[in-house]
Amino acid sequence: MRERELSSAPKRRIAPTVWILAIWTFLFVALPLLYVIGITFLEKDDVWGITNVFTLENYKNLFSAVYGKVFLDSFLVAIATTVLTLLIGYPFAYFTAKFPPRVRSFIVLLLMTPFWINSLLRLNGWIILLKANGVVNVSLQALGLIDEPLKILYNNGAMMLGMVYALLPFMITSIYNSVEKLDWTVVEASRDLGASPFKAFCTVTVPLTVPGIVAGCVLVFVPSMGLFFISDLLGGGKTLLLGNLIKNEFMQARNWPMGATLSIAMLVFTTVFIYLYKKVTGAKTLGGLR
Amino acid sequence: MKKTLIRAFSLVLILALMLMSVGCSSAPAQELVIFSWADYIDPELLAQFTEETGIAINYNYYTSNEEMLTKLEAAEGGDYDIVIGSDFVVNIARNEGLIMEIDKEKVPNFSNLNPAYLNHYFDPEAKYTVPYVAGTPLIVYDPAKVTCEITGYNSLWDPSLADQLVVMDDMRNVIGMTLKSMGYSLNTEDPEIIAQAGEKLLQLKPNIRALDGDTPHEKLISGECTIGYIFTSQVSAVLSERPDFEVCYPEEGMGYGIDAFFIPANAPHADAAHQFLNFMCDPEVSAKASVFTQYINCNSAATEYLPQEFLDNKAVNIPADTLGETEFMQDISAEATEQMNEIWNAFKQA
Repeated sequence: MRERELSSAPKRRIAPTVWILAIWTFLFVALPLLYVIGITFLEKDDVWGITNVFTLENYKNLFSAVYGKVFLDSFLVAIATTVLTLLIGYPFAYFTAKFPPRVRSFIVLLLMTPFWINSLLRLNGWIILLKANGVVNVSLQALGLIDEPLKILYNNGAMMLGMVYALLPFMITSIYNSVEKLDWTVVEASRDLGASPFKAFCTVTVPLTVPGIVAGCVLVFVPSMGLFFISDLLGGGKTLLLGNLIKNEFMQARNWPMGATLSIAMLVFTTVFIYLYKKVTGAKTLGGLR
Repeated sequence: MKKTLIRAFSLVLILALMLMSVGCSSAPAQELVIFSWADYIDPELLAQFTEETGIAINYNYYTSNEEMLTKLEAAEGGDYDIVIGSDFVVNIARNEGLIMEIDKEKVPNFSNLNPAYLNHYFDPEAKYTVPYVAGTPLIVYDPAKVTCEITGYNSLWDPSLADQLVVMDDMRNVIGMTLKSMGYSLNTEDPEIIAQAGEKLLQLKPNIRALDGDTPHEKLISGECTIGYIFTSQVSAVLSERPDFEVCYPEEGMGYGIDAFFIPANAPHADAAHQFLNFMCDPEVSAKASVFTQYINCNSAATEYLPQEFLDNKAVNIPADTLGETEFMQDISAEATEQMNEIWNAFKQA
């Protein structure tokens, strides 16, 4: 009798906190999302805003050719960004984790410091470096390597540079967390048992850091679908990604329902992608995400 | 202990509230609430107004016409005393009865205004608004780099301009420019004509180096682009840095816009608002305001106060006969907007 009372006591004490969390999530996550979903079934008003007329037209419009191509382009850009950040980020995180602890924390600090500056400012820094009369072109011209300034900005390459630059730290910190916690004695054991360094890396290190890789890929892939300002600033506004499309619908076409529908489509799209990714890699949870 | 603290705190609060209400009742008309884009009126002029009249200015800003109208609708034409808006939004607000008729007797300086900027579609009898600035998008280019002859919109399609052009990232303006280049109105609603414009616009894509509505002037100044179709104040910015650039007044006719002051129907300090309109119509003040905004001045009497540099600036001082048949960009039907949006997406996607 007494024991039962004791065991149920802690549960009662937890309850208020759980309620606060539940109410918080409902008010600030679920309700706004429901509002967005609700708008997708309404018609747009003549000037702007919405009317109370039910329609499925918005979802039908999703399958128009232009939107399809935007989805495909955004998907390809997101995949390319993820692969590039992984290729650069993994070695970076791997070797950082091998440094002595003091050097390690210094490198992580250097990595995080730019995050204190607004990303728009950092992207404008790239523009100052790369523009026609910018540091890079002026230096190359002074060295006599080129006569006319190179057209570095306002193409897909510049956009990819911005994407990778903006999202690389997410990849590095996720993988770094995994590599840092790696039990190196396991790697040593495989070496002692005759595996070459490369084989040990492929069969022991990489599989043990999969949670970090998965987390990094998700953290890079999901935002890269929506970073409209990078395509606007560095790509010259000439590429239409999902983020740009949604921004256009709200700001220029004043079509809230279509903007909301595209947002929901993007949400579904990324959820499906993350699900598939987890299936393929066999990761049970997004462990590195914490 | 706790109770005493709470009591003391409440007492302080009540006292503070009483003081605040005294402050309010003693100076009922000493405030003017302005609602505008950020940095759209020279702060020195606002200070001068306060100094001359003793009326404190409370400057509120919005980021878009749409936001302004939404807030004005929610306040039912109250809360604000002076609002600035673009012609098409002013037109909507006027039709919704959100604008107060101006008492011209309280604004004697109204007569200084240039009649060319009055009696337009958004205020046909010039009863509700005072034009603040006017502007027209223009073509500006570097004659040292552009080899073909630039006479109008159609010149932008010249193959020698491949990867050279910057235009504003604005659906209505760019499609409107294309319609103009074909000899049609900016406000065409005919689906067949809009479709033709869409096809023509797609052929412009190879020439586009960047689409930018905020800082296209920087791309021209840095030499990133050699030719641009951009807004008035941006053309001014290019010319002030690169006086060697040429301006082209498109031969097919120009688009046009006016941003105007108005007093909301239920403005809390309507008298102060009239005083402010009169102040802004003063020739000297108006000249200073135009130098600050770098848009076309709408005040005939202000001309003698405008600095020579401003008068020589081809972007803001356009001869009346060259300006010719300008056309306002007006709201078009939902169907036409939808069609233009599809064209715009396809254009950016191409």
